[in-house]
Amino acid sequence: MLKRIYLPLLFFVIIAAKYGYADRTKDKMYYFITNSTGCYRRMNGTHQIGCTSKRGGSNGVIHYCESEKDLDFILENGKAPPYIPVMPNNLLTLNIVNKLKKNIHTISGLVIHNKNTPEYFTHDNQCPNINSNLKNTCGDGNPIWNKHGTGLLFNNIPFPLFFIDSDEDVKKIKDCFQKFNNHSFETQNERTLCSLQLKSFMFGATSTPTCQRRSNKQTNIIPVKFCDPLGDYNIWSSLYPVTDKDKNPIQNASYIVISAKMDTTSMFEKTAGAQSPITGLVTLLGVSKYLKTILPENPTEDKNVLFLLFNGETYDYIGSQRMLYDMKNGNFPVKNENGENDFLPVIRPEQISLFIEISPIKSSKNLYVHHLKDNEKIAGIVAKLQNATILNIYPVKGSLPPASLHTFVKNDHNFPGAILTDYEKTFSNNFYNSIYDNSSNIAYKYYNVTEIENGKNIPKNSIQGYIVDVATALAKSVYQELKGEIYRGDQKLDIVLIDELLHCYLENPNCRVHQVISGPKLQKTPFSLYVGIDNHSNLLTPLVAMVLGWTTGDISGEGNINCTNIPKSYSHKFYNMSESIYDLNSTKCFKVTLNQTEAISPAFIIDDYDWSSGQYSTWSESTWDDISMRVFLKPSPAHEKLTISIGSISMILSFAIVYFFKTRSHILFIPSIPNETPTEC
Amino acid sequence: MDLTKVPNEKKLNLCRTYFKIGFALLPFIWTVNAIWFFNEAFRKPEYEEQKQIKKYVVYSAIGAILWFTILLSWLITFQINRVTWGEFADNLSFIIPLGSP
Repeated sequence: MLKRIYLPLLFFVIIAAKYGYADRTKDKMYYFITNSTGCYRRMNGTHQIGCTSKRGGSNGVIHYCESEKDLDFILENGKAPPYIPVMPNNLLTLNIVNKLKKNIHTISGLVIHNKNTPEYFTHDNQCPNINSNLKNTCGDGNPIWNKHGTGLLFNNIPFPLFFIDSDEDVKKIKDCFQKFNNHSFETQNERTLCSLQLKSFMFGATSTPTCQRRSNKQTNIIPVKFCDPLGDYNIWSSLYPVTDKDKNPIQNASYIVISAKMDTTSMFEKTAGAQSPITGLVTLLGVSKYLKTILPENPTEDKNVLFLLFNGETYDYIGSQRMLYDMKNGNFPVKNENGENDFLPVIRPEQISLFIEISPIKSSKNLYVHHLKDNEKIAGIVAKLQNATILNIYPVKGSLPPASLHTFVKNDHNFPGAILTDYEKTFSNNFYNSIYDNSSNIAYKYYNVTEIENGKNIPKNSIQGYIVDVATALAKSVYQELKGEIYRGDQKLDIVLIDELLHCYLENPNCRVHQVISGPKLQKTPFSLYVGIDNHSNLLTPLVAMVLGWTTGDISGEGNINCTNIPKSYSHKFYNMSESIYDLNSTKCFKVTLNQTEAISPAFIIDDYDWSSGQYSTWSESTWDDISMRVFLKPSPAHEKLTISIGSISMILSFAIVYFFKTRSHILFIPSIPNETPTEC
Repeated sequence: MDLTKVPNEKKLNLCRTYFKIGFALLPFIWTVNAIWFFNEAFRKPEYEEQKQIKKYVVYSAIGAILWFTILLSWLITFQINRVTWGEFADNLSFIIPLGSP
């Protein structure tokens, strides 16, 4: 009997579970634009920048604009505000955003979509990092480095701003707009309209100290984190061991620093960063590889080369400020209790004998050596560079483009530092800190060379060839600086390695160089180069560190399980890595001097830091719940009124009916007569 | 509780107790007291305890109104000045609104 009932029931349940895809009505009402990225809010010591939507999302009627004229039309004639203009990328300008800000009651958001690659697209300031730079290095007669910069990245925008990448989604929006919105604008307020909902509500507000204070408040009933400091890790590595016989730290050595930055940013959550910072980063890795090849052993006792990769430099030099702060306090390369330790030397800023920063570069035959003051060190390196290369080397005195060197020069005006660039007065990059700074910006093409002989297939006048030229020149100059003589060997920097490195960072992280360092299986899309927030470590940083370890490491034996188990010497790390990118199967044991140090601004670790002083970077990023974008049809006002009337009427009716029944309950319901309990007689 | 079934003496006791409890910074108790015993105090035919009940109801009402005036003015002052007071206002808050200054 039971079987007879339950079996068919079970069968029905299984069928229902398998074929009964229940679509919820709310899912049918909306079409999600998944290929969109939003703009979010950041804060510094005194201001907030970026965008936010209303809580729960900002809604608006779509108005597709081809040109500024279309936008003006809807601002003047729009009958059904608020609107959300959908515009091509070339219309994202300061003027238009300011116009929208003035019309905040007519506009509730802005969507930018990908059209053709514009001539320029950069929303950093014309003088990037101006507040943290040395005074009088940009504007007022000095070069304007980022002359196309709109400064929108640092603008406080009171509405949500989204970017759509996919043409398909843009077409959907456009079609919907054509069908419902793009006719008889006078009667728009009487009919169903295609609309957008932009959700990017930001929790934090005002400034970093405010949101930090609120996040740390114990008395909040529901503890909320309002913002997180920006930050990640810097990477340092020395070309030669910093200890004597793996034991005694070599104190008071002098260091030649080769540095580059590792991060970029963009108006939106997505970043690119091909020219800035990847070309600089790859050049640095090339220099380290080539130097280790031509000069495997340290020819001196008291000199060394230090490779520094700074993170968070886009946001007022977070990485370099922190490193300098640590150096000055005797906490570099490791945090020390009382100014010393017995496994690594303490490196102080005075020990840096020369600081060369590789600024992002692009193909060119000229290399500019920017420096603040002439001194023999700089003159020396310029001369050495001129000797070492066919590139045209131009020293540019009294000029410092935005770069980490500013941090060190601000600390000491006589600091011996230079910045290598491919431009003299303005960036060669028209897409500085934007999503269009991609591989086509540096005209990069991957050649996928697997045999060393085929390296010649890569043309010399490509970006790979230029990076090889710059890296070779710099490495040879450092060679001469260390050894005191010109390099006469015939070793060359392998152009294939540069090709592979660019491929790794620009196209596919599952590349050969990451296989060399025995990296794990990685995502197929390039990693973000945004510095991110302090408690969320960037995935790329440890990978870059490993690659730097591979280029600067010494082979200490065959690669096997014993390698990483060698009794720990705190001054080194041991890794099993392939010896060359052409032979991934033969592993060797690499002994490297390398580590990561925190790149979180000192402002967040100094107890009573004065947030408005501007001494250190104070950037933080607001937290949020959801960033999403969806299209829906907003019913006509008549429809909306009908819905609410039906609802209200049925509610009132229900009250009346209940009242009616209640007053007559004694007629309708026969009262139950309580049973008389029999009395005991 | 249905006051109609309570003897007058008990009503007075109840009203008095509520009035007294209200002094423990509980303006809502006074409000309840004033509303609950309003009919007893003003709309019922006269009886012996009514005069006293009336007194407690009036005092409770005055107390409650005073309280709400003070509360309301404080709330207005606080909301207007929350942003300018900065840290001081944050320290007074149990819930900090998301996304606002």
